[in-house]
Amino acid sequence: MLTADKGRLASISEYGRPGQLRRLLLFVWQCWKLNLAGAMEFRLSFLLTAGMMVINNVVWIVFWGLYFRRFPVLNGWELRDVMMLWAVAAGGFGVMATLFGNAPRIANLVATGQLDVYLSQPKPVLLHVLISRMSVSAIGDVLFALMIYAAFGDKSVAGIVKFALAMALSTLIFIFFTVISGCLAFWLGNTEGLSFQLFNALLTFTTYPTGIFRGLGKLVLFTVIPAGFISYLPIGLLRQVDVPFLLGAVAVTVLLCLGGVRLFYSGLRRYASGNMISLRR
Amino acid sequence: MASIVVQQLGKSFRTKKKREGFAGSLKALVRPDYEDKTAVGSISFKVEQGETLAFLGPNGAGKSTTIKMLTGILHPTAGYAEVLGCCPWKERTKLSYGIGSVFGQKSQLWYHLPPIDTFELMSRIYELRRGDYLQRRDQLIERFELGPYLHTAVRKLSLGERMRCEIAAALLHRPQVLFLDEPTIGLDVVVKQRIRELIRELNREEGTTIFLTSHDAGDIERLCERAIVINYGRIVFDDRVELMKRRFLTHKTIRLVLEEEPERVELAGVSVLEQSGVRLALSVDTELTTIEAALSRIMARHRIVDVTVEDPPMESIITHMYGYSGKEELAT
Repeated sequence: MLTADKGRLASISEYGRPGQLRRLLLFVWQCWKLNLAGAMEFRLSFLLTAGMMVINNVVWIVFWGLYFRRFPVLNGWELRDVMMLWAVAAGGFGVMATLFGNAPRIANLVATGQLDVYLSQPKPVLLHVLISRMSVSAIGDVLFALMIYAAFGDKSVAGIVKFALAMALSTLIFIFFTVISGCLAFWLGNTEGLSFQLFNALLTFTTYPTGIFRGLGKLVLFTVIPAGFISYLPIGLLRQVDVPFLLGAVAVTVLLCLGGVRLFYSGLRRYASGNMISLRR
Repeated sequence: MASIVVQQLGKSFRTKKKREGFAGSLKALVRPDYEDKTAVGSISFKVEQGETLAFLGPNGAGKSTTIKMLTGILHPTAGYAEVLGCCPWKERTKLSYGIGSVFGQKSQLWYHLPPIDTFELMSRIYELRRGDYLQRRDQLIERFELGPYLHTAVRKLSLGERMRCEIAAALLHRPQVLFLDEPTIGLDVVVKQRIRELIRELNREEGTTIFLTSHDAGDIERLCERAIVINYGRIVFDDRVELMKRRFLTHKTIRLVLEEEPERVELAGVSVLEQSGVRLALSVDTELTTIEAALSRIMARHRIVDVTVEDPPMESIITHMYGYSGKEELAT
């Protein structure tokens, strides 16, 4: 060792002492509180943005309502399944964008060298980046998902547990697929457009019943753009537990999580920073 | 004991070269042309605990890249560094508990929230004991005089107020080394002076090692004992600030008030900086002539009412150093 003793580090910090997880959770909680406080700084805009998203989603529900009044079954899907599809998709997206709102911005943050602040602080970089932003409109998506579930979902204990699991899988797939597409920027430069298109493709396909896709389309939805693992949840988990599908969905989610984390930290070695003036908002 | 040790540290980036115009863009799309750009050549230095170091150089010299490698933000392409016993890019998390950083152009304050909220978050990020945090926070609020705008959203603060909050936020966890990357950029003279005083006090009272990059001569003169000048990715000067003045002080300024208006001044090694009536400012190249010789030749021709001999400001020493001491040194 060439310099002063490491033991002298962190004199007023509890770093290295027991309770690391509790302190990490307190940090996450504080970040979320600040995000919400920041969003509420502009009260009217906050309420309008979240409210507009609920209305936006309701338009789609009305559309599907009209459709099912005319054709009660669509390739085995009923109105209730489509409502659950919207609850799981909008809910998963909503939780991601509300609590991990920087996920869709990773490509931009990397390409414009805005990770410096996160890298200079002692918290897991990916977690810190993800939780440092909140999309206000996405709060509307979460509320919408809960409203749809309250109206159409199975309110038994088993039903609620299954819905919670579906939400967890959907959220994780959204987060880590978005992280992976954002990480392309470490290797390919400014991939903001490409990453956004990939994210948009996932988001779009999660809101259509998997039953309407066949052949290559279906293959894509269960491989390259894993939207099928979200959009089939109303049938394969909520309506009736389809064990092979559920195991597949869990395995894909775990793979995406591990792959996303691995890719992000490998990419950090190639991170080139930048001279863009940046502020945290 | 050293706080920072840097051994042959280097960083190069692979950048895409593009010819001008749309045709150039098309060509770059089909057959991109890359070049390796050396941001930091191979630099070595040591910083002792409690030292105040100015890390200087013109734009693009490699100052910020060096700071980013020493704080673990960037991975080097060559060499080794140790800060407080940690290799920054391998032990980034551990190291960040012992260092603080202020990047003049990258804020760690939350834009829409008051500074007090960011301080609270910093206490969670650095896992500070509640009592210690509150004590330290109050101490910094008092010392940096943050009280009046502690509860005002950052977006509504002036640049000077924001920068004081930035520095206070970076000091909450009592770092042993403070990296400051152009902390006084864009600030007015009074605020700059106050920030320098605060950093100086901190260094004196807490023994914090200060590693500062700046283009401001005042920051260097009033804050730092030692200077390292880097240009084209290489160290071209590493010594005490006083010595930097002496080594690069090849000119002095003589300001004269004469009894009568002077004729043309033509002396070897002397050039006229300013002439207005009986007032005359001359620059004397001390490598070609001495102050005494220049003055005696003027006195032989004119009667002098008043005379002052000045060193040129630090600003012009830095300009002079940036001007020539780069590629020449790199080539040797």
